[in-house]
Amino acid sequence: MKTFLFIVIVLISGSFAGFIHGTVNFAIVEPYLDQAIGIENQNLFASGEEKDTPEFWVEYEGYRAWQKSGQILAGIILGTSIGALFGIVFALSRNSLPGNNDVKKAIVLAGIMWFSMFLIPFLKYPANPPTVGDPETVVLRSILYLSFIAISGFGVVGFYKLSKKFQNNKRLVALIGYGVFISVIFFAMPENPDEITAPMDLVNEFRIMSFLGVTSFWVSIGVILGFFWKRYSPHKETTKSYT
Amino acid sequence: MLLNFMSELRQVNVSKTGVSKLAIVALAIVFAVGLFIVGFDQGHIFSLVYGEQAFEDLYIHELTHDMRHAAGFPCH
Repeated sequence: MKTFLFIVIVLISGSFAGFIHGTVNFAIVEPYLDQAIGIENQNLFASGEEKDTPEFWVEYEGYRAWQKSGQILAGIILGTSIGALFGIVFALSRNSLPGNNDVKKAIVLAGIMWFSMFLIPFLKYPANPPTVGDPETVVLRSILYLSFIAISGFGVVGFYKLSKKFQNNKRLVALIGYGVFISVIFFAMPENPDEITAPMDLVNEFRIMSFLGVTSFWVSIGVILGFFWKRYSPHKETTKSYT
Repeated sequence: MLLNFMSELRQVNVSKTGVSKLAIVALAIVFAVGLFIVGFDQGHIFSLVYGEQAFEDLYIHELTHDMRHAAGFPCH
């Protein structure tokens, strides 16, 4: 394997896909974040924690500009991070993935990881806008969310390995096994402890946009890494000449 | 015979698919650090330089705030 080339194309693919994710979020998620933070501000005024003064709005505009400016940068960092995981899994599983070229293989893997590490956890612990979420429970919620992602991801790996021991219907065994396993986990895991106090229309529309943003990342990482892999073949050794 | 031998040599060179352990370790570090920065930092990283003040300023938290919400991480 060409180690340096492998690392470089994985990092570039992740950062590109993360840039796309951040840009999509900037376009479609930011309006909902602004609405939600507007409600948060009104709650602060109503409770007396803050006063509706020009000084408040100057400070508010300052940190909102900082937060918004980070959307794309954070997308690139997160994309590079998740892309690194995707690259590792792709390199290790490439020979087992269906598809007659690396683009198809990468898209299949992106679909599997999107389903198991995003969609299923999202159904249990969907994204929430600001105003939803008690700071006292943030550690618990983080542990629950990460645990569920890890359990689901390792579940896929575990049932794939288990299915290899069967002679026939390997894919069916893996699918049914994972389906039963993750259903049990889904209902066994505790619910998000926080009550939703924001308008449900806002929360639901925010979740749809969040879903589209994250999905844009998984589509992008599959296509981009697949094309890079097909073009540069980092899994091959440098061919030596014997002539 | 010679052609077969040459073919085998070529196959040895191009069909090794073993993944570099160095690459896996390097990418695993990128994964863990990036995930922590965007998903979980509450001043921890800057506290290495700025001490306790970093937990008040929350620069990285605020910088990644919108992505945290948009990507589904619990934020506050």
